[in-house]
Amino acid sequence: MDNEIKIALSGRIDSGNASSVEENIQNEIGGNKNAPVVLDASDLAYISSAGLRVILHIKKTNPDLSIINVNSEVYDIFEMTGFTDMMTIDKAYRVVSIEGCEEIGRGAKGTVYRIDKDNVVKVYNDADALEDIQHEREVAKLALVLGLPTAISYDVVRVGDSYGSVFELLNATSFSKILAEVPEKMDWVVDEYVKLLKLINGTLVPEGKLPDSKEKIMTWANYTKDYLPEELGKKLVELSEALPHDDHMVHGDYHSKNVQLQNDEILIIDMDTLAVGHPIYDLAAMYNAYVGFSEYDNNVVKEFQGFDYKTSLEFWHKTLAAYLGTDDEAKIKEVEDKARVLSYSRLIRRSIRRGGLENEKSKAEIELWEKELTELLKKVDDLYFDPPAFEAESGNELDIEAEESNLHKVLDFIDKHLDAVDCPPKVKMQIEVAVEEIFVNIASYAYAPDKGRATVRVEVSPEPITVTITFIDQGIPYDPLAKEDPDVTLKAEDRPVGGLGIFMVKQTMDDVTYEYKDGKNILRIKKSI
Amino acid sequence: MLNISKEMENTRLTFSLEGKLDSVTSNDLESEIMNSLEGVEELVVDCEKLEYVSSAGLRVLLAALKLMNKQGTMKVTNVCDEIMSIFEMTGFSEILTIENNAKTQAKETKEEE
Repeated sequence: MDNEIKIALSGRIDSGNASSVEENIQNEIGGNKNAPVVLDASDLAYISSAGLRVILHIKKTNPDLSIINVNSEVYDIFEMTGFTDMMTIDKAYRVVSIEGCEEIGRGAKGTVYRIDKDNVVKVYNDADALEDIQHEREVAKLALVLGLPTAISYDVVRVGDSYGSVFELLNATSFSKILAEVPEKMDWVVDEYVKLLKLINGTLVPEGKLPDSKEKIMTWANYTKDYLPEELGKKLVELSEALPHDDHMVHGDYHSKNVQLQNDEILIIDMDTLAVGHPIYDLAAMYNAYVGFSEYDNNVVKEFQGFDYKTSLEFWHKTLAAYLGTDDEAKIKEVEDKARVLSYSRLIRRSIRRGGLENEKSKAEIELWEKELTELLKKVDDLYFDPPAFEAESGNELDIEAEESNLHKVLDFIDKHLDAVDCPPKVKMQIEVAVEEIFVNIASYAYAPDKGRATVRVEVSPEPITVTITFIDQGIPYDPLAKEDPDVTLKAEDRPVGGLGIFMVKQTMDDVTYEYKDGKNILRIKKSI
Repeated sequence: MLNISKEMENTRLTFSLEGKLDSVTSNDLESEIMNSLEGVEELVVDCEKLEYVSSAGLRVLLAALKLMNKQGTMKVTNVCDEIMSIFEMTGFSEILTIENNAKTQAKETKEEE
């Protein structure tokens, strides 16, 4: 800002020098009442209440007051006294150098570097990124709470003129690196990559917690329409507008550099674009990462992902097929075309806004995208497709939205395991009933009135064959076993309607335990068969 | 899945259930029963082809029983062994009138041997 007044504070400010410090500051401000004032506290070691009063006096004449580069001791004083709520007070940030560091990921808003064996830093492109950093921390926390495997930054640092956030990421390798270096692992990467995407797209987000991707989609369409034949431009806007609202999560930049294998755990990073919406939004971003950006110049992908265009096309195609759960090329193509409409809508805007029309190569690229989009818009009449079933089932564990309508999926999952050990019909029904009572309980109460997920895990141990089923949810703490058993000798007229479910579980199972641990309700039932 | 078939004979209404009576399907049965009890003096719920009952199913049976106790009688017929054990456990065998025909009883006896 032009009229911003920057003043450095140093040493100690206490009752001994407070008045002279104030006088100096007022001299610097001069007659510029109401001008924004920034106090640079880089060299400020201590401030007493007399010093705090000086700051309050300045705040009166110049309400737009902020304090920057505050060391942590001084920051504590500001925080304790409530000053951090009254004005913008920024901590001094640790300085981190990325010189010679490996780039391990890149997203819309920043680039991720490994700074040492255990840590990575995401450096934001925008020099004024503190708000973005705060946003990404919030959404990463939300994602973690909703059950997604991600890393949360633990520190904000300065990297040159930019800000960075630091994450712990041990021995992690990106899926892009695996694809580039161990091509024979592609099918495994596809499987895991799709499983994680389904987990993301299958996550219901409580209302208002994340932005709506539809707004982005409309921004793209309303811009790009002007670069298309009028009728088709209009159609692009209409198709975008017609996409239904969807409360499921979309990542927004789900490409293989943003998926990291850390020991045996698969993590998703770069959460700043997290939003809600229909999964076509993610597919469009993925199409761009693997195809769109490289469609004119096939070398682009190598630079960005580390693998070549051929690998990229193959990976994208396999991923889309696995995501849709089909080998039907016509079906795959149909969804791909829908995704491409959004891809080009975004790419054209992005490139033109970055001056793409003034550069020969970019201009040719934009022309190619416009041509493709024009052709697509002649045949695509709808951007919606039916999302695949989103349950993540891995062997003995089912991760599913806790909703009553999913009961039969849970029971089918349990049955598969019971049938595998030849469970007798009577015991099978008892276990099924127990599973139903517990799952429906979670579906009805754990997250009400919001929605959430539940994990159901089945374990079978031998001699005697014993089935252990564990239910985990992250809803409100609730111990169903604490409820008093109903009186089953009452006459019909005196009986309350309900309350029998958990009683039956206790009656039929050999063992039922409950614990609340790490924010999770964990209910376990055991039955030998 | 639950198939519900309904047969009205004078003032006797018979529901024949086939499949599973659980949290999802019991809503259908509940609305079917509650919407058709007018003028019914005898309600029969035939469970010959019913394989499964959870507490949600019991809730519907109890609600129907409470209503029928005011306007007539209700009985549950041909209950298989698995479901019978649930009725016993929950005391429903005491409050419901259960009538098993010869065929089902023979099967039960055989299984107990």
